[in-house]
Amino acid sequence: MTIELDLPDIQGLVARGYGQLPHSRFLMLSVTDRAGAREALSRLLPQVTTADERPDATALNVAVTAHGLAALGVPDRVADGFPREFLAGMSDPHTSRLLGDLDGSAPEHWAWGGPATPPVDAALLTYAADAAALDRQCDALEQDVRSSGWRVAARLDTLPLQPDEPFGFHDGISQPLLEGLPRAAGRDATVRAGEFVLGYPNEYGKLTDRPLVDAGDDPAGVLAHNGGRDNRNDLGHNGSYLVARTLRQDVDGFWRWAREATRGSDGTSDEARAVALAAKVVGRWPSGASLVKTPEGDDPALADDNDFGYHHSDPHGFACPIGSHVRRANPRDALDPDPGSPESIAVSNRHRLLRRGRVYRNDDGETGLHFLCIGANLSRQFEFVQHTWLANPNFAGLYDDADPLVGPRAARGATFTAPGQPVRQRYRDLPRFVTVRGGAYLFLPGLRALSWIAGDHP
Amino acid sequence: MPHQLAVTVRAPIAPGRKADVVQLLSDINRKGAASGPLPFAEMEGVHFARLFVIDDATDLEGRSLPASLVYMADIDAPLGRHWGELAAKAGPGLDEVFGRCADYPTEPVTPGARTAWLRGHSVASGAVYVNTVGRGLQQIRGEAWLREAIEDFLDDPSVSRARASATEVRAAVREFVASRPDLAWALRPPSPPSLGFRLREAAHKVCVPLVALLLSPLLLLALPVWGVLLRTHERRDAANRERPSLEHVRMLDRYEDHATQNPFTAVGLVKGGWFRQLTIRAVLYATNYGTRHLFARGNLAGVKTIHFARWVSIDDRRRVIFVSNYDGSLESYMDDFIDKVAWGLNAVFSNGSGYPATRWLVLDGAKDEQAFKNYLRRGQLPTQVWYSAYDTLTAHNVATNASLRAGLWADLTPDQTRDWLTLL
Repeated sequence: MTIELDLPDIQGLVARGYGQLPHSRFLMLSVTDRAGAREALSRLLPQVTTADERPDATALNVAVTAHGLAALGVPDRVADGFPREFLAGMSDPHTSRLLGDLDGSAPEHWAWGGPATPPVDAALLTYAADAAALDRQCDALEQDVRSSGWRVAARLDTLPLQPDEPFGFHDGISQPLLEGLPRAAGRDATVRAGEFVLGYPNEYGKLTDRPLVDAGDDPAGVLAHNGGRDNRNDLGHNGSYLVARTLRQDVDGFWRWAREATRGSDGTSDEARAVALAAKVVGRWPSGASLVKTPEGDDPALADDNDFGYHHSDPHGFACPIGSHVRRANPRDALDPDPGSPESIAVSNRHRLLRRGRVYRNDDGETGLHFLCIGANLSRQFEFVQHTWLANPNFAGLYDDADPLVGPRAARGATFTAPGQPVRQRYRDLPRFVTVRGGAYLFLPGLRALSWIAGDHP
Repeated sequence: MPHQLAVTVRAPIAPGRKADVVQLLSDINRKGAASGPLPFAEMEGVHFARLFVIDDATDLEGRSLPASLVYMADIDAPLGRHWGELAAKAGPGLDEVFGRCADYPTEPVTPGARTAWLRGHSVASGAVYVNTVGRGLQQIRGEAWLREAIEDFLDDPSVSRARASATEVRAAVREFVASRPDLAWALRPPSPPSLGFRLREAAHKVCVPLVALLLSPLLLLALPVWGVLLRTHERRDAANRERPSLEHVRMLDRYEDHATQNPFTAVGLVKGGWFRQLTIRAVLYATNYGTRHLFARGNLAGVKTIHFARWVSIDDRRRVIFVSNYDGSLESYMDDFIDKVAWGLNAVFSNGSGYPATRWLVLDGAKDEQAFKNYLRRGQLPTQVWYSAYDTLTAHNVATNASLRAGLWADLTPDQTRDWLTLL
């Protein structure tokens, strides 16, 4: 059942988050001239980091949007093979409704990727071991692409890699382990490669639909054959979809709310109570320790202990609330069918995300996350998790509780329920703590596919 | 409490009037279907209602099927009341939309003529699923109201702080409910559906297996023949993996994800030949038995997110309409289907033209995730007008509210009392 991943053709970001390269910058680009843009892209090809490398100086990955494919001249007959949600893009009105990107998070207010800002056609994701190396790499890249058919639509800087996200919680602990990677060898609890890389069997044992190219559109045979009986080549092979979103976090507002909500009847505030409530909202303690493992207080010794379920130890959410952020972003064994069973975990595994985000802080003090995640099926993975688990006020039997940390606060969903004994504590009218400031759906092609995209198209 | 009924009215649209009808329906939908020309909220016992257009098409033998307009509602009995209210309260709206159908009575239309026409165009369902048989609209609304009142009561810090044990909290809640004249009904159990209905259902539950038992020698003889024919057909039938067009999906998207629930409407051709006709009739018959007697308590074979669903055969059984009112997005709905009840869907839908290949009627099929999702999306129609009487409640919520009320009047042990309080 183990599969062989074609690591030299897969972009490096799929395999690793570049923990050794703490500095990163994401350059969002628009095409200004098709021929020049293709040439620049072709020149970048040798610099693209692949999944078989372990870079210790710099890394570069390249992704393109549906708008970018058209701008680069990929014919519609090929592009139409991409899934609808990728083609529609993240700022499509139906997508916004699905993701809860309404009111202050609506695309018309975005700093990048929305209708009021330049189109995002491609993203250059750059990583380096130190700040100077990152600047050198980015300057050279920018100079190259700007001289040849591209302009920079947005420059997303990040803070040097740190374990905590801006609210102050250890982040990135639970990541799906991708079948076929060297470090997954001999481990249980891997997720099928096809959940994250196109061209391999997914959790249903099937190949996710990919865009296919008639032989006539690939005369040089750059792409791999699609493996079926017909004569078409596979543009999707070894590629993934990349979701990019800039999520502004109102850190002061979050902690102000936690302190106000835990003020005693005599008006006194108590930092320990505020932290405990914040932990209930997040679903982990600031150290990262799970509330299921240590319900009464933080225990840094358990920070990286990721071996737990919810159903058997905490079915009602007395320790980790049903509506808390991490319990809904990855419900593990908590949902139907048959909570606590392998079937329940199997269902959760069809909705996993490989997270690759980095924290940012702008000069004006705005801080948050440049959220990146990778998957092979935008609608079943990212959109499902965002809609059905996070933004949904009725998640798992709740009534008016969108995700208390990252959820939208549209007409409904501003309640947080902390189950307890003898009875729950309910918090009403939560403010919005996270606002979407930009976003795009991108395709992170395999190296051959990237080379085909950068080539001439009839 | 009344039992629920599925109403379907269908009529061919007069030639050249289809675009008119679609436009009219879109206008009604934009204004909201709770009031306006079709004021469903002002009629008794309407849980869900919808109107949609089925495009003209050709069947597998090349015969043409005219475009038609369909009205569907999930209502509380009695049926006569609904016909009467439709004719009286939605008269002008009905005249406007159904007036584009070929044989609608000409002006001035009396309520009596309207009712007679609607009844005359009503279509029986092949199978109907009701999330919880006998839970009427009044009960659902009342129990939602009850819950909100109890939640607000418990939000008062003096209530929860003063009481340390579950038993004390429950006693306080009961006292609170009893003190409110508008909630006092909740301290008694809901009344069951009418005796006549319950006797009829009980008789049906027993008689169908009895008849099947009597016929079993014949059925057993026929089974191997049927099995061989089934496999022959399954090997021969062509699956269609084609993706729905982007225009089609965009049109569908416009009507989706506006509330906690969504409507699903689809129509599909039944595969040609007598064998599939026979099979789908038998499967729908069995499905209807299952939904009436085995899955009548909030759980359709593992799927708990459907409020109402039905299958309706039309055009001399050459096509089948499937509709449902479900919680969440279409993606989550389809995933639920695949993960939990693929066998059941296969049994019905594998008789539909283009469905992903099955084995032995229930295996494979929907497990081919993308082929299955494409099949549903291709057959899906925009639900041009849709009304839900409780569009912020999931089926899960409705069931929890009922349990909350039941726990008010039942005798509970201390453990049960603690569990009951977790419903809040």
